[in-house]
Amino acid sequence: MIRRLLPLTLVFLAASALSAQDLVPIPLELPKPLFVGTPVPFKVPNLEKASTTKRPPFLAPAGTVNLAKGKPVTASDAFPVIGELGFVTDGEKDGTEGTFVEFGPDLQWVQIDLGETDSLYAIVVWHFHAQARVYHNVIVQVSDDPAFKTGVTTLFNNDYDNSAKMGVGKDPSYIETSEGRLIDAKGARARYVRLYSNGNTTSDLNHYVEVEVYGKK
Amino acid sequence: MTPTVVNGELHEPARARLDASLFLLVLLAALGLRCYTLAPRPMHADEANQAVKLGQLLEQGRYVFDAADHHGPTLYYFGLIPAWLRGQATLAALDETTVRLTPAIAGVVAVALLWLLVRPWGRWPAFLAAGLLAVSPAAVYYSRYFIQETLLVTFTLGALVVGQRWWRTGRLGWAAATGVCLGLMLATKASALVYALVAVLALAASGASGRSARPLGAAAGTALAFALVVVGLFYSSFGRNPAGLSAAVHSIGLMTVKATAGLTGHEKPWWYYASLFVWHRNGLLWDQSLFLLPALAGGVLALRRRGLPRFLALNTAVIAVIFSLAPYKTPWQVVGIIPGLCALAALALTRLRWLVAAPLVLAMLLELGWQMRRAVFSKPADERNPFAYVHSSPDVKKVPAIAAAAPAGAIKVISAEYWPLPWYLRHRPDTGYWTEPPADCDAALIFVDAAQAGTVRERLKGKYWEGFLGLRPGFMLVVFEQEDK
Repeated sequence: MIRRLLPLTLVFLAASALSAQDLVPIPLELPKPLFVGTPVPFKVPNLEKASTTKRPPFLAPAGTVNLAKGKPVTASDAFPVIGELGFVTDGEKDGTEGTFVEFGPDLQWVQIDLGETDSLYAIVVWHFHAQARVYHNVIVQVSDDPAFKTGVTTLFNNDYDNSAKMGVGKDPSYIETSEGRLIDAKGARARYVRLYSNGNTTSDLNHYVEVEVYGKK
Repeated sequence: MTPTVVNGELHEPARARLDASLFLLVLLAALGLRCYTLAPRPMHADEANQAVKLGQLLEQGRYVFDAADHHGPTLYYFGLIPAWLRGQATLAALDETTVRLTPAIAGVVAVALLWLLVRPWGRWPAFLAAGLLAVSPAAVYYSRYFIQETLLVTFTLGALVVGQRWWRTGRLGWAAATGVCLGLMLATKASALVYALVAVLALAASGASGRSARPLGAAAGTALAFALVVVGLFYSSFGRNPAGLSAAVHSIGLMTVKATAGLTGHEKPWWYYASLFVWHRNGLLWDQSLFLLPALAGGVLALRRRGLPRFLALNTAVIAVIFSLAPYKTPWQVVGIIPGLCALAALALTRLRWLVAAPLVLAMLLELGWQMRRAVFSKPADERNPFAYVHSSPDVKKVPAIAAAAPAGAIKVISAEYWPLPWYLRHRPDTGYWTEPPADCDAALIFVDAAQAGTVRERLKGKYWEGFLGLRPGFMLVVFEQEDK
């Protein structure tokens, strides 16, 4: 048996030595960057117009309405850079100046108090849609605890690297459009809705044009 | 010890001390505003592009003037000094603070030179003009920006200051110094030629008197000879690239076409530069009217006074008109007229009685300070900041961390536009750049412009995580990071 295995082992070792000797990093020539002049201002239309299809209708039990309209809003920063907290639930969604609220850099949140615990089916958020952008660390949670310490349900989280320190999220990042982002609330029961973000692909600021919370009392 | 006050008036040593104190105060303000925290603002595409060129010069000692897309060589050669002083010998070792120190120090020198230029008008006009330049939003913003404009302003002011001394004394040394400054101007940007020609015309029309009786021809010849030597040294890469000299001549034609043909994408209406100073709101409020109005009043007053006042009024006005009429406009060009406006505003305000002038000056400094703070420190890369032109998004600063966290292997950047990524990936020589998707798109980490992401996705064989990264407003990159490696 050993006599049979010995030649095989020697052949294997020789082949391994040879292949290890032959394996060298390939001389990969990568193109160098080209030096160019000042980039020109980029004017893109809202990407929503360029997207292929309109969002299909979201189905919810009969009698589902926007429970957030006109409801009180609080935020991580009570004094926004631009706009007022009330803009988040005022029903104005065109995204022009005077319809959005702007918060400073880093992780910021807004919170809507629905007034009572309701069954929630969908949350639609418009951060800013006058320009193609992606907001980072978008996390949407609901709870009956206004401090969001207990009974928290996370409905959406695209914080892939856990930079918000609230757990890794597997939801995709998305480009803002005038359709807003619809998040399935799956019938969760809660009184408070909290939405986080951490800057966007254009600036390190955070914006909200509108948040709608569809549910039933 | 000499008494400091005699019969209610300051004695000479006390005057000198007051002058020195005021001068030092202004310089310290200029230095602080220009050098404080230079690193946080993301690198603009132009800054990154030029910083990589500086890195190549630093590393390989090699610089070749490119007439098509770049200005003159002085920025890179002067950029070597802070790099050497800070012990940074390679492109990878360079950082934002080092590269931005060159225009920052030039900006401080410009403040000192304006003080020297206007000093013949008296202590207070000189102090005020220099003080206004020290806090001017555009001057501070672009002194912290690794582009040529501030250097051009500084060399122009240098030429005026030493030219002024030659005018009075007739000494050939001052003529030579004027030539050196002129050469440095021309070796900084082709548009220096416009500044030089306008200055000569404004001098001729200024009715300036008091010139030394020494012959003009010898001085002009000396100045021209020194200017040509400086231009020759810089554009030929100090003798290593003689072809740079013909490229420099060629760049004048290119500049003329660029400025006038209306084909660059940077075309703007004639009132664009004026609009940077007047009240406008784009989500944020911008205004420098309290500075602009005295400057305009000073311009009118100065036209009636022969010599330096009329020269500065004509020089500033003609440059503003030329730049406004040329279709090509970028906001950094406005810094060319800021020193003139500061001097003219100072002239107007110091003609007023103290009781009237003091509150006006205070209001003007407060407004400029507020606007400067917003433009330079609060919103330096915000697209609503009129000086943050086509600026990179703060997202680009995440690139080194993304590259460090990615699996080992090459990085591919596939995008119609990708600057300033080569700066943020300067530590990674295993990075390749394509403007269109190559046949083999796979790599450990890929940055693709959103418009080409679909094509790249179809060509990828491996499994990737995808995310978004902003390059600049409206221009997004899709990041593909290999998962199965």
